[in-house]
Parts: sequence; C-alpha cells; structure tokens
Amino acid sequence: MPDRKLPRLLQAPAVLLLLVWMLVPLGMTLYFSFIRYVLNNLRHPEWTTPSPSNWRGFGNYQFVLNSKDFLLAIQNSLFIVCSILFLTVTLGILIAVLINKAFPGQGIVRVLLISPFFVMPAVNAVLWINMILDPVLGLQGIAVSGINDVVDGLRQAPVLGSFFSLWPEFEPISFRATQTSAIAVIMMVTWQWTPFAVLIFMTSLQSEDQQQKEAAVLDGAGTWSQFRFLTLPHLGRPIAIVVMIQAIFHLSLYAEIEIVSRGNGNKNLPYLIGEFANNNIGAASATGIFAVILANIVAIFLLRAVGKTLME
Amino acid sequence: MAIVAQSSKFSTYGRPILAWGVGLLFFFPIFWMILTSFKTDADAVKPEHLIFFTPTLENYLNMTQNYDYWRFARNSVITAVSATVFTLFVSIPAAYAMAFNPTRRTKDVLMWMLSTKMLPAAAVLYPMIFLAKGIGLYDTHILVIAVLSLINLPIAIWMLFTYFKEIPKDIIEAGKMDGVNTWGEIKEILIPLAWGGIASTALLIFIFCWNEAYWTVRLTTVDAATLSKLIEGNRAPEGLFFGRLSAVSTAAVGPIVVLGWFCQKQLVQGLTFGAVK
Amino acid sequence: MGRIVLDQVSKCFGDVEVIPPLDLTIEDGEFAVFVGPSGCGKSTLLRMIAGLEDLTSGAIAIDGEDVTEVPPSKRGLAMVFQSYALYPHMTVRKNIGFPLRMEKMGQAEIDKRVETASQSLNLTDYLDRKPGQLSGGQRQRVAIGRAIVRDPSAFLFDEPLSNLDAALRVGMRLEISEMHARMKTTMIYVTHDQVEAMTMADKIVVLQAGVIEQVGSPLDLYHKPQNVFVAGFIGSPKMNLFSGPEAAKHGAHTIGIRPEHTDVNTTDGMWEGRVGVAEHLGSDTFIHIHDTGLADMLTVRITGDIAVKHGDKIFLTPQADQIHKFDAQGLRIE
Repeated sequence: MPDRKLPRLLQAPAVLLLLVWMLVPLGMTLYFSFIRYVLNNLRHPEWTTPSPSNWRGFGNYQFVLNSKDFLLAIQNSLFIVCSILFLTVTLGILIAVLINKAFPGQGIVRVLLISPFFVMPAVNAVLWINMILDPVLGLQGIAVSGINDVVDGLRQAPVLGSFFSLWPEFEPISFRATQTSAIAVIMMVTWQWTPFAVLIFMTSLQSEDQQQKEAAVLDGAGTWSQFRFLTLPHLGRPIAIVVMIQAIFHLSLYAEIEIVSRGNGNKNLPYLIGEFANNNIGAASATGIFAVILANIVAIFLLRAVGKTLME
Repeated sequence: MAIVAQSSKFSTYGRPILAWGVGLLFFFPIFWMILTSFKTDADAVKPEHLIFFTPTLENYLNMTQNYDYWRFARNSVITAVSATVFTLFVSIPAAYAMAFNPTRRTKDVLMWMLSTKMLPAAAVLYPMIFLAKGIGLYDTHILVIAVLSLINLPIAIWMLFTYFKEIPKDIIEAGKMDGVNTWGEIKEILIPLAWGGIASTALLIFIFCWNEAYWTVRLTTVDAATLSKLIEGNRAPEGLFFGRLSAVSTAAVGPIVVLGWFCQKQLVQGLTFGAVK
Repeated sequence: MGRIVLDQVSKCFGDVEVIPPLDLTIEDGEFAVFVGPSGCGKSTLLRMIAGLEDLTSGAIAIDGEDVTEVPPSKRGLAMVFQSYALYPHMTVRKNIGFPLRMEKMGQAEIDKRVETASQSLNLTDYLDRKPGQLSGGQRQRVAIGRAIVRDPSAFLFDEPLSNLDAALRVGMRLEISEMHARMKTTMIYVTHDQVEAMTMADKIVVLQAGVIEQVGSPLDLYHKPQNVFVAGFIGSPKMNLFSGPEAAKHGAHTIGIRPEHTDVNTTDGMWEGRVGVAEHLGSDTFIHIHDTGLADMLTVRITGDIAVKHGDKIFLTPQADQIHKFDAQGLRIE
C-alpha cells in the first residue's frame, strides 16, 4: 500500500526550509518598505530602529520611483540580461556547430572552452577589469599604446608618413566609469556563460537524428537549409533552457558590477538596492519589492514556457 | 559519403583551425592570469615583459603573508563542503519522494522551488543581515552554510529528481514486493543506482557554493570570509599588485576549474534537468 | 495455498473510474490469465492484488485473510515485471537472494535456496554476472528466480514475455507452464496476447474498460463467447462478425463465424466473394475475401493449400452448428 504520509514527511524539510527562506526575509522586506527606517539620522534617532510607529505608507515607493537612478537601473538590468542572453545563445550555437564534428584535438578544445564557466565571478571580474581591460596597465591599454607607437613610427617614414600622419591617436576605453562599464560586465559574463551554452547545445546536437539529415540531403537540402529547418528547431528546447537558467542567475547579477564600476553609471537593480541600503533601508526595501515584481514577471513567462518542456 | 566530400576542405583545415582559435580565445584570460601570476608585480605591468620575463614563484610563496590566503581558503572549504553535505541530506529524501510518489501537486511544488531561485537576493539582503545580527550568527560558518544550502537546494532537488526519475519505477516496486522499507529503498536501491547522479549533483553544488559571491561577501567580515570575499576585497589594485593578485586568483579558481573538467558531461544533464541528453 | 478473492474491488484515478466494482475468485493452484486490449485495466488489477496500487473501494482476501491494508511484501506474493526490474547493481546471486535478505534469513539458508532456484532455471553459470551482461531470456529467468525463492502463495506475472523475441517467447511460455504444472502454485498472468492466454491458462479473465467480459476456461471462451467483444478477441485469425439481413435470417442482430469454421469452394456455396490476399503458411492458408456484401472483409482458414489467386471468385459456406448469434446488446443467444 503506497503510504501517503511518508513521502510528505520526506519532502517536509526541504519545503519548510524554502518556505521560511522565502517568506521570512520577504515579509521583513515588505514591512521595512512601508516604514521610515535608516541606519543613521541625527535629527530623527527614532528612525534608526524599525517600528510600526514610523509608518510611511507608500512614501518609500514614491521616493524610489522619483529617484533618477531607478528607471536607469531597470533599463540597465534588462539591457545587461538581454544582451548576455542574446550573445551567449548566438555564440553558443555557432561554436557548438563548429566543434560538434570530429577534428584533431576536439577533446582538448572542449576542455579549454568550458573552463571559464568554473571561474568564480569575483575572479572573473577582477581579471577582466584589471589585467585585460584596464586602459593603461591592462592588455587593452598596452595594445592601444602599442598601436599608437607603431603609427607614430610610421609617421616618420618617407612617403607613407604623410598618410599615417592623418591617422588619429587611438584612445583606450575606460570600462570603469561610464556606460561602457555595462559593456564590460556583458563581456565578462558572456565569456563565462557562452561555454555553458556551447556545452548544452553540443550535447543536444549529438542527439540529432542523422537519418533525418540524410533524408534531407536526398531531398536536396543544402547545408544552410539543413541548419535552418532541422538543426535550429532541434535546438529549440535547449535554447529555452539556456535562457531560463541564465535568467535565474543573471537577474541577481551583482559581484561583477560591484567590482567593475562600483555602480558608476551602470547600476542595475540589485546594485541600486545595495546603494540605498548603505543608509536608507526603507528605500532599499521598496526597491527590493520592485525587483521581486520584475523577477516574478520574468519568472512567470519563463517558467510557464520552459516548465512544460522540462516536465515531460 | 557525398555530404562529407562536399565540405572536405573546410573539414580538413578550416574547422580545426577555427575551433582551436575559438578554444584558445576563450581560455586566454585564464592563461593570462596564470602567466601573470608568475611575474613580479613590477614586471606584470611592463609592456616589455608582456611575454618575456623571468618566472618567479614569489607570488605563490608570499600568498599567506600578502593575503592570508589559507584562512580564506579554509573558510571556503568548510562552508562549501558542509553546505554540499547538508543540501544533499535534505534534497535526497525530498527528490526521492517526488520522483517515486508523485502527487498531483508535485509539479507545482518543483516549479515553486525553482522560482525561489529567482527571488532577487538583493531584495532580502538587509532583512537577512538584520536577522543574522539579531541572533548573533553574522559572520559565522553556520550562517554561510545555511544560506549556501538554501540557495542551492532547489537546483539540487531538481537535479536529483531528474536522475531519480530515470530509475525504472518497476525496480522500486520490485523492491517493495521483496520487502524493502523506505530506508532500505534509499539505501539498497536508490543510492547505489543513482550514485553517478548524486556525485555530479554534489560536485556541481560544491562548485556553486565555492564560487558564490553575493551572500558570502555581504554576510561575513573576517571570521567566516571566503575566497570570494578575499578577491572582492582586493578588486581594484590599480595595477600595483597584478602579479600577486593573479597568483591568489589562480589558487582560488584552479582546483574548481580542474574539478569542473571532470564533471562537464554530467553538468549538462544536471543543469538542464535531464531535458538535454 | 493461494486462494485469492476480490470483493467489489474498484479503482479510480482522480475522477476517472478505471475499474468499476468487480468480483473475482482465483482458486488455489489455478493458472489465471487476465487478458484484454491495452488500457483495459488488467495490469492495474494485478498491481492492486500485489499491493502496489491501493483500492478505491472493496477488499482483497488471500486464503480467507483480508490483505487490503497489508503492504506488498507481507502478502506472500511474488511478482515478475515486464521489464524484469532486476537490480542492475547486484549480481544474479544477490538479485535472487535479495528478498530473502530482506526477510533477515540466515546467509546459509539464502545460499541454499538461491542454489536450488538457479539450478531449476539453468542459471548456475551466471550467478556472478550482473543483469547488464545477460540476454533477455536470462534476465527473465533471474526475475522468475527472484520470485521462486520466496516460496510465495501466488505468482503474479505482468506481461513477462512481451520484451522477448518471438522464438524465445514460445520457449518461455512452455517453461512457465511447466513450472506451474510442477509447483502447483496459484499464478496470475497478465497479457494482451490471446495466444498466451489460450495456451497457458486454466482460467481466462477477459477484461475491457475495467469490466470483466467473461471468465472461463480457454475452450469455454472459444466455443461459447458470451458477447461480441470476447468473440472477436479470442481466436486467431479473428472471428468474422457482421450484422444485417444475413444475421436476421438466423434470428440474431449479429452473427459470427470463425475462419476455420467456413468451408470454401470455387464453384458454389452460400456466400459469394472475391479473393483478396491469400496468406500461405504451408500448413494453413488464410484467405481474405472481399465483395461478399456481408462485411468489408471476411477471413477464412483452410488446412493445407488451395490454388486461388487475387481476384478469383470464391464461395463460402459456414458450418451451421458453428455460427455464433448475438442480440442487439451484443450478448450471446443460445
């Protein structure tokens, strides 16, 4: 007789833990978002302890909505996540198709390719922003000044010199301060997650029906038609999964932004919350609730769409 | 085969060259980090020593002195291992129950669990700090272990659920006919059969715990600080310490990258919840 | 001992009633076969007897003892699954001995019983292999071995032969029949294959949509099908069934005549038709006949060979005493 109680009992710890994990902090965030609550205030010391008597209603929400950073942060969040998704999926498919067929050293290339996925995000950010993208000391800076030196040298050359003297001095790009820092974040996260997409698409490609392809060849389909009408549809499900899993991880992207720019110019929502939380917990909580709403909108779409295929 | 013949030129030369190029390009940042870790801090920023330099081990030898590496590494090991063990301890029974005794709500429960993963950590950060300080757990191993377990629990349950579902139901039922109780089912049948799946789940959860950077950075100061915190704390050396920073970064990610190489196949099945095979 | 009594047993999955309340008794030592098309509830019924599926209502008694609430392993039954359900991580020896180990039997006794069982199943050479290294037939034997060692009061078989190839299936069918003759233990066997049912059973239970259509010995079912469904299900090739004026002549709504009970002639007979496909098996010939005006196609079976080809005119005469008559509800008219 299948016992109905035991399965529930076995699930209980996991369900309860997650329930508490979700509800308690979220409930507190909700509560904080409706009161005046700051860490330091000399004139109103009573605001530094959370209490219902400091009720502010929707005041925190208004404050957040009116702050110029808020819309920018939402824009940035979506811009960063969407760019990463687009790049990883596109690059993922291209690279997967490229290395799917056997060639000498396929195994080694696979290992090389997958490595970035296991690098901790903190190291990823430190590595890129300093050693690679730094406008003076990083590879970028070195490369740009190297090119400039070469161009400079050529200016002295006879005949060609007049041509090269028309060339501008190349400027290295700073990825720390301006909107370009979002580009840096997109670059480093794409570097880290493209391997993940490649790995999944490759696995999926290996299960592609070869007889179907042979049938298509007999039907006169060229390489492009095969890719467009057989391979791409076959990858539909893995693409959906790659998008969902990445969305889960990237909506709460934080370490990279913190390290790259300390939020200069490209705050995303998590970063904005962190910034508010330096003092104004009420506003941080209200922003948090907005972030939860945003995540839920994304989650509803994604989980609905992908959930079905996963559950089969 | 006509198909092969058509594209043979690309297959023989183009594909390997292009593929190797892409592979090396993606590995380059890691290679560069490793290379820089063998340069002195001064050499690391000199263009003339970009490639040609005298390798030195001093960055590694001074890691303890410069960064107190081993203390952070010890914390990372303690928290990641404990969190992995605890996560498995909670998720194996849950995944077992959901895979073999599903109810009409099992799907919804699984979906809900995954959706908790989408809860923005930043939204609940301050309450967590508030609570943690309130009960005196801030900057302790227990807190970090608890949080790491909770954020990875949904993924672990999903992965295990996927692996368990692949075990034919008949075998579990045969066990029931043969007189196995629930504990026996887990011990005699489930764990031996899903051993590979459980191991790769553990490995992946361990990697995620090790790499976690949001909570571990926010919820610790000194005592329980992990390698993520160490690196994050030295994020902007302004070019002064590229050599030693590379060394400590290499030491922080090296073991995990190597571990990752060994579980890349299982990783796909696990992370896609069995939907891609 | 193994007399199994089902009393008003029913099963619902959610709102869907897959088995309306039914009564059934399987006598001690009987070989009972549940047969029916896929989805008819035969496997569910077996699993309910095994205790793997709970009852929505009703009760099951084994040897007079109510086991409705007793867990599977305590019912004294052994089951052989369609997929064999061997434990892939254990050797054959461990697989067979597993139920005994779970009973906390001493190792010496386990070894002895495993030895005996494996000898009777010709498995002694494979005892230290794992299921993955065995052929389908050998796996099937191991599954049976695992059932035998427990010395159960009844064996339950859930389509045990459907994963084997045709030749092996016939051999295993014989072996299971012989095993029953030797052990005289109650066996309940589920299959969708009416040939298996006819050849092995003492008692056949024909199910459709969770309802028992008829219970009886194989020849009962062959000679006196109680309704149109059983008439069409038992026997191969299928009985020819048709309604209309020809049926009315016999005072029935539907009449049926088995292919082997129809005489064939190329010159004259009761019904006229045109030869479609003729399947020559050597010992028999199946002729599919069209354009009779009775049904789309009639099938006849003749012993030996006959020289007809596609499109030939042909005449049929049913053997009068072999015509089955059914009323408008599909029930047999005597």
